[in-house]
Amino acid sequence: MNETLTDLSGFGLSDEELFSHVDNSEAEAERITAPRYSYWHSVFRVFFRKKINIIALSILAVIVLFTYIYPMFSGYDKYANLMVEGSTHLNPAKAMKMFGYNIHWIFGTGGSGQSTFDALWSGARISLSLAFVCAAINLAIGVVLGAIWGFSKKMDIIMTEVFNVIGNVPYILLISVVVMILSASFWSLVFALTVTGWLAIAYFIRTQVIIIRDREYNLASRCLGTSIFRIAIRNILPFMVSVIVTLAATEIPTYISYEVFLSFIGLRMKDESLGRLIDMAKNSMLTPGWQFEFWCPAIVASIITVVLYLVGQNLGDASDPRTHT
Amino acid sequence: MTKYVLRRLLHGLISVVIVVLIVMLLVYSMMDRENVLASDATYTKRQNNQREDYKYSRWELFGYVDYVTFQDWLNMLVREGEIDADVKKEALKFGKYLEKDENNDFLDPADPEVAREYVLKFKEYYEAKGYTVVRRPAVMLTKTKVDAGGKQALFAYRDIPLAKRALTYFTRLIQVDNVHYVDAETDIGPRKLTFTLFDPAAGGKFSPAVMGNGTQHKYLLYFDSQFPYIHQNLFSLRLGTSFVQANNTEVTTMMGKRQGAKVYHTVTYPTGVAENSADDLHTAVYVEGSRDQLELNQRRYTDDYTSTTPYYKNRSAIAYSFLIGVISTVAAYLIGIPLGVLLSRKKDKFADKLGTAYVVFILAVPSLAYIFMFKVIGRAMGLPGEMRTDAETAWMYVLPIVSLALPSIAGLMKWVRRYMIDQMNADYVKFARSGGLSDREIFSKHILKNAIIPIVHGIPAGVLGSLVGAIVTERVYTVPGVGGLLTDAIEKYDNAVIVGVTLFYATLSVVSLILGDVLMALVDPRISFTTEKAR
Repeated sequence: MNETLTDLSGFGLSDEELFSHVDNSEAEAERITAPRYSYWHSVFRVFFRKKINIIALSILAVIVLFTYIYPMFSGYDKYANLMVEGSTHLNPAKAMKMFGYNIHWIFGTGGSGQSTFDALWSGARISLSLAFVCAAINLAIGVVLGAIWGFSKKMDIIMTEVFNVIGNVPYILLISVVVMILSASFWSLVFALTVTGWLAIAYFIRTQVIIIRDREYNLASRCLGTSIFRIAIRNILPFMVSVIVTLAATEIPTYISYEVFLSFIGLRMKDESLGRLIDMAKNSMLTPGWQFEFWCPAIVASIITVVLYLVGQNLGDASDPRTHT
Repeated sequence: MTKYVLRRLLHGLISVVIVVLIVMLLVYSMMDRENVLASDATYTKRQNNQREDYKYSRWELFGYVDYVTFQDWLNMLVREGEIDADVKKEALKFGKYLEKDENNDFLDPADPEVAREYVLKFKEYYEAKGYTVVRRPAVMLTKTKVDAGGKQALFAYRDIPLAKRALTYFTRLIQVDNVHYVDAETDIGPRKLTFTLFDPAAGGKFSPAVMGNGTQHKYLLYFDSQFPYIHQNLFSLRLGTSFVQANNTEVTTMMGKRQGAKVYHTVTYPTGVAENSADDLHTAVYVEGSRDQLELNQRRYTDDYTSTTPYYKNRSAIAYSFLIGVISTVAAYLIGIPLGVLLSRKKDKFADKLGTAYVVFILAVPSLAYIFMFKVIGRAMGLPGEMRTDAETAWMYVLPIVSLALPSIAGLMKWVRRYMIDQMNADYVKFARSGGLSDREIFSKHILKNAIIPIVHGIPAGVLGSLVGAIVTERVYTVPGVGGLLTDAIEKYDNAVIVGVTLFYATLSVVSLILGDVLMALVDPRISFTTEKAR
C-alpha cells in the first residue's frame, strides 16, 4: 500500500493538518471519550463554590458537635444547684463569679440554678433528633407513596380524596389527640407528626412526578418496553434529587419550629427540648434581668433552623444538574 | 361555572362530614375517657357507688354514653302512667346485693317481691336495647352501716354508636325557631309572628322588627345600633355545647358573644317600667313559668320572655380575631406584592439579597421566637405589648397586627418574586421589550398581571382564615380572640366544642379553597372550570 502514498511535503501543509495512520484497537474503539462527569462530585463542587455555604456548613458542624457530643461530657443535672442559695436566675457575670470561670456559666443560670448553656444543648439534642427522625420518616414514606401516587391513576383518585379530607382535619387537633392517647413522649410526638405529615410531601412529589411522567423521553422509554419500575428509578428519580433535597431542607427546620410551637400551646414532652425551654422561660422574658434565659434557647433554635435551611436550600440548588456548568 | 361551584361545594360538604366523623371517632372512641374526670373536684370528692353514678352522668353529658339509672326508668314509667308512686317506692327498696340469689345471680334474696319483678324487667328492657346493665352491691363500712356514697346502685349504660351520634349531630345542626317551640299545652295566647314598624324595645321609634309568640326568641329579626345593625334569631347554628369551659353554652355563643364589663343604660321594659340595667331586650328568650316565679320579672315583663343577655362593652372573641386578621391580611397584600415586585426587578442586587434574607429568617425561625422579638421591639418603641379590654386604645392593636402581617408579607414576597422571575423570560416579555416598552411598563402592566394570578388564590383563605384566629399571636399579646378555642377545648376535654370548632374550621377551609378558585377564574379569563365539549 505504501507505494500509492503521495508525498505531501510539496503542498505546504502544517503537521496538524496532515492525517496520520492509527492502528485498529478493540480496546480503544470501546472507549467513550465524553468528559468525565460524576454527579455528586459536581454537586459538591457547585456547593463549595459559594463562601457562605462553607461558613454555614462549619456552623452546622459546630452545632451538631455540640448537640450530640457536649451533653455527654457536661454532666447536666437540672437540680444539682437546687439547694445552693442565690443560684437562680443569675446573669452570666454573676454566675461566673459564683461558680467560677467555666463554659457552663457563660449564659447564666435558670430557675432552679441550672446552667442555661448545658440545658440548651441537651434540649437541642432532643429537638434536633426529633426533627431528623420526623423528616426521615415523612420523606421516606412521602417520596415512595408520592411516586406511586403520581404513576397510578387509580391511586390518584383515591389519594386525592384522602388528601382533601385529611387536609381539613386541624393538624393541632390530630397531634393533641395522639399525644393524649399515647402520653407525651418523644416517640408519641414522632408518631403524631408523621401520622399525616407525609401526606403533604407525597402530594408535592405526586405533582412533580405527573409533570415529568409524560415527557417525551419517558414515553419513548415506555414504547421501548422499559418497565415502570425502571422508568421510575432511572428516568424520574434523578430528576427529583434536587426537589427532594430542597424539601428535606425545609422540612427539618419546620419540625423544630413545630416542636417549639407545640410546647408553647401546652402539648409538651416530658423531656426538656428546646421548645420546652423556650416555653418555660417565656415568663422570665418579661422580668428585667432574666431575659437571658428566654433569648438563649430562642436564638440557638433560630440559628439551628436558619443554618439548616440555608445549607439545605443551597445543597438543593447545587443538586440541580442545570447549575453544573 | 355555577354548576362547577355547586359540584365542588357538594364535594366539600362530603369531605367536611367525613372530617367530623374522623374527629368524633378520635375524640369519643380513642381518647381515654377516664381522663375527662381527672381534674373534676366533685368526682374526687365523691366516693364508692355515688362516684360511679357521677362518672356515668358526666360521661352522658359529654356525649360518651347513654346512661339510665333504675330510678330514672321508674320515674319514666310513673310519668307514662304504667305504675303508680307506691309501686315505684316499693321497687326502689331493692336489696344491698351483698349476696346473690341462688336461682338468679342478678337478684338479692333480700329483694322485696315488687323490686324483684321490676329489677328483672329493667334488666330485660335495657339489655334488649343493647345496654349493659350493672347492679353494684352496697359498700359497707361496718356490718350494718353503709359507707359514704356506698348505697347499692342499679343502672344501665351503652356507648353511643358513631352513626347515631353523627346523625343526631347533623340533624340538630341548624335550628329554625318556630311558633311551636313553646309546649303545646301551655296557654300563651295566639301563636303567631307579628311584623311591626315601631319596635317597642327600641323605644317606639321607627325600627322594623319581626316578633314572635310561641317561638323561643321574642325577636326574630330586628335592627339596632350595633354592627351589623340587622340581627336575626330565626336560624341558629348548634355546633356543640360546652360543659367544661363554659357551663352549658353553645360554641357559637362562645365565639360570638360580646365580652368585658356590662354597659348600663336606661331600659324601658314591656310593662313600661324604666330601669337602669344592662339587659338587651332584643335577646329575650322564653323560659316557662319564669314570670310567676320572680317578682322582679312580674314588674318588668308582660309575658314569659324574660331571659335576656346583657350588653357588654367589648367585641366578641371572633370579632377581635377577625379584625386583627383582616387588617393584617390587607396590609400584607398591600405591602408584600410591591415588595415582591421590587425584589424581582432588583434581582441579584442588594435589595433582593436583603429581602431574601428576611424571607429566610421568617421561614426558618420558629414563629414564637420572632413574635416575641416583635413584642420586645414594639415595647421598646413605646407600643402597648398587651391588650387591655378595660381600657381600649387603637395602639394596642398595632403589635398583634404587625406580628401577623410580617410573616405573611414574607410569604407573599417569596412567591411574587418567584412568579415574576419565572415570567420575565417569557416570549411576550421579550416581544414587549423589543417593541420599545420601558421596563417599568413591562413590569407593572404585563408581568405583574400574569404573576399575580396564583397570588389571588390565597385571598379568600386569608380573609376567612382570620375567623379561626392566630393562636400564638393571641396568647403573646393577650388578645381575647378565638385562636385558643380548639387547644383549650382539647386540654379540658370539652368534646362538643372540639367537634364544633372542627366543623367550623373545615367548612371555612373548604369554602375558601372554592372561593380562591372562583376568584382566580374571574381574574384570569383563560382559566375555565367547565370542560368544553370536543369540537
